[in-house]
Amino acid sequence: MSSHLKVTGLTTTFGRGDEAVHAVRGVDLEIEPSGTYVLLGESGSGKSVTARSILRLYQSGTTITGSITLGGEELTTLPERRMRELRGSRIGMVPQDPTGALDPLRSIGAQLMEVLLVHRIVDSKAAARARAVELLDRVGIADPGRVVKAKPHMLSGGMRQRAVIAIAIACNPDVLIADEPTTALDVTVQAAVIELFRELQERSDMSLLMVTHDVGIAEELGGEVGVMYAGRLLETGPIGEVLATPKHPYTQGLLASLPSPGVERGHLKVIPGRPPLTGETASGCAFAARCPLVTDACHVVPPALVRVGTGREAACPVVNAPDEGSPATVSGFSAGASEELSA
Amino acid sequence: MTRFLARRLLYAVPVLLGVSIIVFLTVKIIPGDPVATLAGINSTDAQKAALRHSLGLDKNIVVQFWTWLTHALEGNLGTSIAQHRPTAGLVMSAFGNTLILAAYAMILAVVLGMLLGGVAALKPRSIIGRVCSAISSISVSAPQYSVALLFIIFISLGTGAFPVSGMHGTGGGGVGDLLWHGFLPALTSALVPAGMIGRVFRASLLDALGMDFVEALRARGLSTNRILFHAVHNTLPSLLTMAGLQVGYLLGGVVFVETIFSWPGLGELLFNSISSRDLPVIQAGVLVSAAAFVLVNIVVDSAHALIDSRVRNT
Amino acid sequence: MTSITTADLSADSPLAPPVRARRRARATGRRIPLGVYLYGGLAGVLVLLGIIGPWVAGNVTSGNLSERLLGMGAGGHLLGTDGQGRDVVARLIAGARPSMISALLPVAVSGLLGSGLGIAAGMASGWLHSLIMRILDVFYAFPAVLLAIAIAAALGPGTTTTVIALSVVLIPPIARVAETETMRLHGMDFMEAAHASGASTLRIAGRQVLPNVMPALLVYATSLIGLALVFAGGMSFLGLGVAPPHPEWGQMINEQRQNMYTAPMTALIPAIVIFAASLIFNQLGDALRDLLDIRRSTR
Repeated sequence: MSSHLKVTGLTTTFGRGDEAVHAVRGVDLEIEPSGTYVLLGESGSGKSVTARSILRLYQSGTTITGSITLGGEELTTLPERRMRELRGSRIGMVPQDPTGALDPLRSIGAQLMEVLLVHRIVDSKAAARARAVELLDRVGIADPGRVVKAKPHMLSGGMRQRAVIAIAIACNPDVLIADEPTTALDVTVQAAVIELFRELQERSDMSLLMVTHDVGIAEELGGEVGVMYAGRLLETGPIGEVLATPKHPYTQGLLASLPSPGVERGHLKVIPGRPPLTGETASGCAFAARCPLVTDACHVVPPALVRVGTGREAACPVVNAPDEGSPATVSGFSAGASEELSA
Repeated sequence: MTRFLARRLLYAVPVLLGVSIIVFLTVKIIPGDPVATLAGINSTDAQKAALRHSLGLDKNIVVQFWTWLTHALEGNLGTSIAQHRPTAGLVMSAFGNTLILAAYAMILAVVLGMLLGGVAALKPRSIIGRVCSAISSISVSAPQYSVALLFIIFISLGTGAFPVSGMHGTGGGGVGDLLWHGFLPALTSALVPAGMIGRVFRASLLDALGMDFVEALRARGLSTNRILFHAVHNTLPSLLTMAGLQVGYLLGGVVFVETIFSWPGLGELLFNSISSRDLPVIQAGVLVSAAAFVLVNIVVDSAHALIDSRVRNT
Repeated sequence: MTSITTADLSADSPLAPPVRARRRARATGRRIPLGVYLYGGLAGVLVLLGIIGPWVAGNVTSGNLSERLLGMGAGGHLLGTDGQGRDVVARLIAGARPSMISALLPVAVSGLLGSGLGIAAGMASGWLHSLIMRILDVFYAFPAVLLAIAIAAALGPGTTTTVIALSVVLIPPIARVAETETMRLHGMDFMEAAHASGASTLRIAGRQVLPNVMPALLVYATSLIGLALVFAGGMSFLGLGVAPPHPEWGQMINEQRQNMYTAPMTALIPAIVIFAASLIFNQLGDALRDLLDIRRSTR
């Protein structure tokens, strides 16, 4: 139970008054111990901000409302000193750019040891050093003895990312938050890193919150998915089901627009228009401007997430009309596109 | 790291050679014939030729240079025209005093600079932050002779808190006396370097604090103080580079500061030698200062490479 | 072959160098920093004084000994008189010319020579590049003041000597900046394009490199003026500059040093003037550097 993460009504706003940027508007999510949750969305959707808000990484000038509990303990009201104890020890974060996340002047080992000693996981430098080597080994680094003494610039991108993951899991966190951990890497290395995440989860009962824009990664990982757009969750549910039968026009459009080999030639299907910039406000549903199923009602009130199946929710009343016979799909987006994904 | 050091030392040799060539040539560019001046108006050609020969001035210039250089390496830097003593001894003892002053000034400069730059970086919008920023900007333009005079007139003569001149009080004095006498001269020399170091420190600290890894450090649960410590660590390379440059400034500036404060160092020696056109001393002084500067740069570079292993391959 | 201007190096052009925008510009929203106008104007006044100074100042070489060392405001002399009864204000105005010449001329000369050398080094290949940089390193090994002193001592006192000595001393830093800027351009695609199209090295240097390194070089040269001013003052202070009785700021300090205990202001005033003038030019250099950064990142 101590690793049960529950987020309710999370709202993150940068700045105040006229210049306020509402990056996250009322997000609910819940991760069981050992569970996996993928926050899926494009740039500007608010997914990274959500992850950072959970860790309270933002400072003055940012307002966070809502509730975030870890194992029942409310995080939003914790004094900063106590929050600092949690960061890196009970909640670990793997940032997007491994090069940027490492101090360029210090060795990997030194940075690992620091986390271990600050959070008092070990009590001596010797123990810290031994554990550092162990951790590097656990994340799949071939020659941990050499890497522990190496500086970041001596390592390849993939190795740096593994080192960063090692730092994130050093204190055996209950929750691991990974913010687009594969974006800065080559495709071949990406697959290996995702495999590493799966392995790490299997071996401990750590839960994983993965933030990504890559549908393939979501599919690879399994678990729950939350599709974010303009600071809101538009659809949630088990990944396999959502990808097979998306219940929101945005998700449908997203999946339909993925190019895949084996499909007959033709135009790439795209969602017309552009996604809103971080915090761009519109009344009504944020997707209304681009939605092929839009009705007048859509521009007035942002739709709430409603149950559309077991463990599934979507925020679109048009697709999920009260008579739940067959949810509407749009000509132009085909639900069948998701089958091509699994090919 | 040892390879880095070896490379630097090896490279210093041609540089020092070049330096000695230039110093040697500065005497050769003097208009007029030195032999004619030394021999006198009424000397015959034969007397001039004999004098020329005894001074070795009839040999070709490369040989002359070589002789001069080998003598210099043996410690023979000629004889002072004004004082009729071996130049080497004069220069070296004076240089020792200058080193003391330069070291004192460097310490003051680094401490003051980091203070000014640090406050300006961490509290940019507060009054004290702006004041520190302004002080850094202004002190960069401060001519040493102007500041020296200001200090003497307003502090020494005005308040009597510090002595007007000299390196020691009467009766020898110890380290405390030395520090007391040296404070104003060192501070005078330190103002421009402090301003430069302050500006660089402020810029690098802001840079370091803006880097991605700072957020990563926060995500690891490190305290603000630790993060600041690591940020400052990351500013050390650029600080070192700037400090190295300032050593050259300090070594040059002593001419003014020592003269005005009557500090018996190389600067004062050079000043007096200029008035008496004592060229052997001027040559020797410039040579020793340049050689010292080259060595200091090697030390600074090495420290830089020690801290930041990325530069070890350059 | 059209030359690429600084405008093309703006942030949204694919050729843009990754320069960070100045926070101040973002904050105030200005295109041209206030400092450029303010300090530019003040600097202009100084240059003007340098030009017309000796004509307006009147008699500055001989004075009335009965009026020596008068305090400020006494007897119609705004800033008093010096040890030989000469009016300080008049001497300051007249002294502006040699000071300005000794500051501006060396920067101009070394600016031209140094840029040429630096660009040549930047465009040169392998051994030639190394050779030039090594020679520059030798000059860099000298504490600047001492090199200037050595040269000036050898050539004898005078404004010409000061100009020559300062020019020699300032060439290496300018050459280094020119070389760095040229090397920076080297990495950019348009240089490859120029080579590939068959343009000669000289042509590339003139049409492509020069217009692109000029802004940074001009800014750097301006920041050296303040330094040169202080240097020149220092040389005169050491007796290597203009010979008395003609006034020059640094020399005035040296001359009046003996009166330091009885009438300190006579030595202090020229010292403060040099400080202020150096401050003006340095601040101008800073403002121009801000302008350059703004231009580079926001156009």
